[in-house]
Amino acid sequence: MSELLHFAEHTLQEVALIIMACVYTVRVFWLLRFKAGKERQPATGAADTTPRKGILYSWANIVMPWGMESTRTKPLMYIQFVIFHVGVTTAIIMSFVIPYLPKLMESNGVVLFFQITTGAAFIIAVLRIIRRVSGPVLRAISTPDDYFSLILLTAWFAFAFLAAPNNSAAGETNLLVYFFLTAFFLIYVPFSKISHYLYYPFTRYYFGKSMGFRGVYPIRRG
Amino acid sequence: MGKAWDSVAFIPYAEDNLDYLPGTQASFTENSMSKERSHKATKVLERLSKKLNRQVVGSLVACVHCGMCTDSCHYVQTNPDDPTYAPAYKADRLRKIFKKHHDWTGRVIPWWVGAKSVWTDEDLEELKDIAFGKCTNCRRCSINCPMGVDFATFNRMTRGLLVSVGVMPEGVSVVSKDQWEIGNQMGVLKEDYVDTLEWMAEELQGELEDDSDMIPIDKMDAEVVYSINPREAKYDPRTIADAAKIFHFAGENWTMPSEGWDMTNFGLFSGDDDLGGAVAKRLFDKVIELRGKKLVISECGHGYRSTRCEGPNWAGMDIPFEMESSVDTMLRYVKEGRIKVDKSRNKTPVTFHDSCNNARSCGLFEEPRELLNLVCENFTEMYPNRAENYCCTGGGGAMSMSEYTPRRLKSGKVKADQLKATKTEIVVTSCHNCVDGLNDVIRHYKLGMEVTQLVNLVANALVIPAKIIPVSIPDEVLVLAGKKILVVDDEPDILTFFSTVFEDNGATVFTATDGDEAIKLAMAEKPDLVTLDISMPGKDGGKVFEELRTNAETSTVKVCIITGRPELRKLIYDRKVQPPEGYLDKPVDEDTLMLNVRKVLELA
Ligand code: SF4
Ligand code: SF4
Repeated sequence: MSELLHFAEHTLQEVALIIMACVYTVRVFWLLRFKAGKERQPATGAADTTPRKGILYSWANIVMPWGMESTRTKPLMYIQFVIFHVGVTTAIIMSFVIPYLPKLMESNGVVLFFQITTGAAFIIAVLRIIRRVSGPVLRAISTPDDYFSLILLTAWFAFAFLAAPNNSAAGETNLLVYFFLTAFFLIYVPFSKISHYLYYPFTRYYFGKSMGFRGVYPIRRG
Repeated sequence: MGKAWDSVAFIPYAEDNLDYLPGTQASFTENSMSKERSHKATKVLERLSKKLNRQVVGSLVACVHCGMCTDSCHYVQTNPDDPTYAPAYKADRLRKIFKKHHDWTGRVIPWWVGAKSVWTDEDLEELKDIAFGKCTNCRRCSINCPMGVDFATFNRMTRGLLVSVGVMPEGVSVVSKDQWEIGNQMGVLKEDYVDTLEWMAEELQGELEDDSDMIPIDKMDAEVVYSINPREAKYDPRTIADAAKIFHFAGENWTMPSEGWDMTNFGLFSGDDDLGGAVAKRLFDKVIELRGKKLVISECGHGYRSTRCEGPNWAGMDIPFEMESSVDTMLRYVKEGRIKVDKSRNKTPVTFHDSCNNARSCGLFEEPRELLNLVCENFTEMYPNRAENYCCTGGGGAMSMSEYTPRRLKSGKVKADQLKATKTEIVVTSCHNCVDGLNDVIRHYKLGMEVTQLVNLVANALVIPAKIIPVSIPDEVLVLAGKKILVVDDEPDILTFFSTVFEDNGATVFTATDGDEAIKLAMAEKPDLVTLDISMPGKDGGKVFEELRTNAETSTVKVCIITGRPELRKLIYDRKVQPPEGYLDKPVDEDTLMLNVRKVLELA
């Protein structure tokens, strides 16, 4: 392994992670500086709905495609969402496994797992680019950051797929690009829309709390 | 919070040097000229920073532009080729301002994240068109966003910011003024309101042959203080009489306040928290003054939400009495056996429309169904329903913004399809706003359905001890016999509808389609009543009204204004002549029309 690759896998990642952690901490404090709106009225709705239930339901929403009409009526979109985010998760995990648990990557099964998940995510990411470019609504609401983040993620999936065999002897380009992209992400993400996962627990917490308090969550249909 | 941008926000500066234009044509045009921000825009920015709370900021930063919420909006479904109706697009109109002044990436590289400030009064007008004209704040997109972005809540905030600098539809301004100054959003004067209550009480006494106080006013220490929507006093007093009948037979110790009785709150629609707080406080203070134990809110979605769920927050008050919807009250009476109902009296197939404010913001959706099943024989669900139901199109104060009526009616196609699919004849709803919104949709899409409320069905199903007395006026009684009525309106459908109703009730009817013809006919026929439209080609209703009032031959003729453009009311009321005897907003149904005409003509 070259010194550059060693640097990319270790020092670069560690520095990027520290920067990301600092920026995220600042971000969370920034959000928490805004006062949370409170509800002083007594709760409404059925007696068995509570803010706590609302919060749990709201957080669990992500694994309940039937919970919202928008995911219930578009199962393919939901499947794409799952594949895409599983790909993100495994690509992140792989950036830790390669430098810190390299032995694990010697297993063909593990490599195959990473390749299947990141490969599938790559295909979905390409579909998402097509959808964003071709759909009038998505085009109208997309910013340069939306396009850039998506294209960058697509490239990252591709290089995660190629880097998964972790065979530096056969050439370091794929691993180098993968790790440099990972580091770039760690630093760029807090400034881009990809930081949404940082806000997700907050927005869903407050929305779920209010909806639970008002007896709307869990959603009932008849 | 505003500190970081305060230093630059209130001085002319060369900002927004790269203009972001969304969509396929996203482009970045150089504009190096320094700009001067308008006073209103400056105020909007100043107030935005004060209005932000954690929930709103979360919703402003969390959108990933995934578009999942798009199809949940009835405006999108009926304008599939226009992306400007998409919830995320609409949300981005405020989001870009927020990003420009409060988000770090937006401040440093605005074009990258679509951040852009607001500079001119024209910018604010564009924002108004979105916030008021393309969204009813129904919150359907909010419950369909995987990220928990609550667009409707910050759209209300946007409205509030605009209203604070006087940028709002004319109707919103008129109604808000009425609620600030007169104390209710329809400008019903105290004497008219009390007069209506007394009139209804007398009708009930006659109908039930019972001399007891049917509508107690300002009674101290009552168990129930009943608050209503001014629409009931003005157009639909039948609902007051029905509620009074139910309280009477339930043996309730109840009262209606003579003042501070309006449970609606235009602050919910205009986003004006100060108005919201003042209106809610007026009602709460009245209940406290009367030492009432419980405030019962008549069937109204926005009234229930703004009084029960938002009012205490806006008014900053902890409420020392209970509050409930009249739906809960009626259900309890039936379940406790305090009133007896016979569901076979309501045989016609009905469906139920959930008001957005009741269902999506207050969780009130099972109780009306339970009650409906107790008082109706044939109830069919509408789909989707409960918190997933579609807006009636009249939400968010849309009924008072006539400039957006064509958009509203177009978006009503979704509701019309839902209604049609139920194959029922009556749609029941626990909201006065929805009554008007649904009536409009039904008329526009020629569905031939009737809209009613639970209070009317419960009253109709009431088993009255010893004798059963029908609520409605028997057909054979020709209440307008011997009366001459002049109907003035430029819409042929309205002329036909009103003429038929009046002729069926025994009146002799004359019609005019413009102002000159109306004045000629009024002079020649000396009618007992003129129903007068305001907006007409040529001489408008305001001028006709003034001429009728100032001409000695017609000055005593009774006039009832019936208009589809309530914001034009000032054309009538600003004139220095005696105000009209009656006023009605279109759309108007037969019962409302007759009740009001009888009231104006002082007929029993
Ligand atoms: S509001 Fe929610 S559903 Fe709509 S585009 Fe934004 S994140 Fe997606
Ligand atoms: S709140 Fe309702 S009307 Fe407004 S954008 Fe969302 S779905 Fe459409």
